[in-house]
Amino acid sequence: MLMLRAVFSAFWVSMRMRFISPFAILGWLLFPTIFAAVGLFLLARPGATAVQSAYGVLGGGLLGYWGVAYLDGGFGIQSERWNGTLEQIFAAPTPFWVILLGKSIGSVLWGMLAFIPTLGLAFIGFHALLPTVDAGPFVVSFAVLTFSFFCVAFGFAPLFALWRWAVPMINGFELGFYVLCGFIFPITILPAWAQVLAGTMAPMWATRAIYASTNAQGPHDFVAWWAASIGLSLLYLAGAAWLYRMVDWRARMSGELALA
Amino acid sequence: MNRLAWQAEIFARSTWLQYVALFQWATVRGYVGYKLVLPVTQILFFVELGVFAAGRQSALYFALGNAMQITANAGIFGVIATVANERQYGTLPLLLASPANRLVTFLSRAVVNTIDGVLSVAIAMALVVALFGLDLRHANIGLIALSVLVVSITTSGLGLMFGSIGLVMRDAIVIANVVYYLLLVFCGINFPVDRLPGPLQLVAYALPLTRGVEAAREAAAGAGLGHVAGLLAGELAVGLVYAALGYVLFVLLEGWARRGGLQEAY
Repeated sequence: MLMLRAVFSAFWVSMRMRFISPFAILGWLLFPTIFAAVGLFLLARPGATAVQSAYGVLGGGLLGYWGVAYLDGGFGIQSERWNGTLEQIFAAPTPFWVILLGKSIGSVLWGMLAFIPTLGLAFIGFHALLPTVDAGPFVVSFAVLTFSFFCVAFGFAPLFALWRWAVPMINGFELGFYVLCGFIFPITILPAWAQVLAGTMAPMWATRAIYASTNAQGPHDFVAWWAASIGLSLLYLAGAAWLYRMVDWRARMSGELALA
Repeated sequence: MNRLAWQAEIFARSTWLQYVALFQWATVRGYVGYKLVLPVTQILFFVELGVFAAGRQSALYFALGNAMQITANAGIFGVIATVANERQYGTLPLLLASPANRLVTFLSRAVVNTIDGVLSVAIAMALVVALFGLDLRHANIGLIALSVLVVSITTSGLGLMFGSIGLVMRDAIVIANVVYYLLLVFCGINFPVDRLPGPLQLVAYALPLTRGVEAAREAAAGAGLGHVAGLLAGELAVGLVYAALGYVLFVLLEGWARRGGLQEAY
């Protein structure tokens, strides 16, 4: 019960900080809307296929959701370092992962806000709707995608804190993730080597399932795709656990971690 | 004449200092991440999106549009950051207290980023042409290069205008994000400007980049200088208007920042 309260407190404080951060607001409001606008101009035009329309309608929201989850969640530790609160959090009796769990849940929920402006733009600006939706698989696929985003955020947080070079590299590669995860176009249009690389991305499998649930044609191997996404996500979590031990060591033993 | 030489020396010194102290990507990792990986992945992303929407034959259209937009990364983010970083590093009050000519100091902020914009596009385009096997045999490469240079200058003009706001605003880099990404929608980067609603087309032609992208596309189709001179002249004119407005804003906001003590707010 105490743990749950700590999770909620971390979640609540992080949400309040997001509400007053211009960057947090840009993350769910501006960036996804702009990508959605470009996607809709290209994919939801007259004569577009049902598959293209589905990507146009959902693509911007998925990009925004990913962008917030990986960046906001990934900076879960780094932001504490910048605010000068990292050592206090480590010194508190509450396990560090509990604090980060609350923050990561906040990141994921904040990222979901990206669907509000993007679906709104699709409906009001382009009169575009999803052609069909198989509700059951769609909901499960979205839940699996959320789990995979959560695991990515949880994994990036110690990575960003341990190796500063990871921030420009991963941030610079942001649109590469859009490509490999197939958020706004299917990865089947990519070269074979890129498709192999995309196969290591947990969100890609869940995204594939989401789009399959909006289209009656094509393969519908939902269970296999969900299993692949969950399996890869668990691998990310295992990697994250190892990284957290390194963060813990650097914070307590070497005293280097709080250096901003 | 001595006075002119003196100003030229200030300009050169200021440009050098912009580079060593305020060019925020002047580390190997920072440069690779933000100036190589980001532009290349941006072009790849939009080319693949375009291929999905319109077929592989339209890859060059998207590659060229997005390559031109990358100049705005340097021109807008880079230039706005030169003022935002002065504030962050605590040197803005010193800059405002110095007797150096404001116009010289102001214009020197764009030089490094203009050169960097051209370099970024050259690297990104070379990689994308190789990756997608784009056919540039009929293209007027020299004219494309000229278009890139012109757009790099004009986007820096826009950056100078919004950079001035950094004198009184703490999070000026937020403005850089807004402006940079809005250009993606308005400037005909990924779809023709005439697909925008009427009033937004007016906005598009009031922005830098729009005419420059059109000129580059014409050059890629083999057009000569005479064919696109009007577009490039229009592009330069728009950029100069923004730079002039930026200078006026810089001088006005400098006074405001002094009166309100805003230059030290961080």
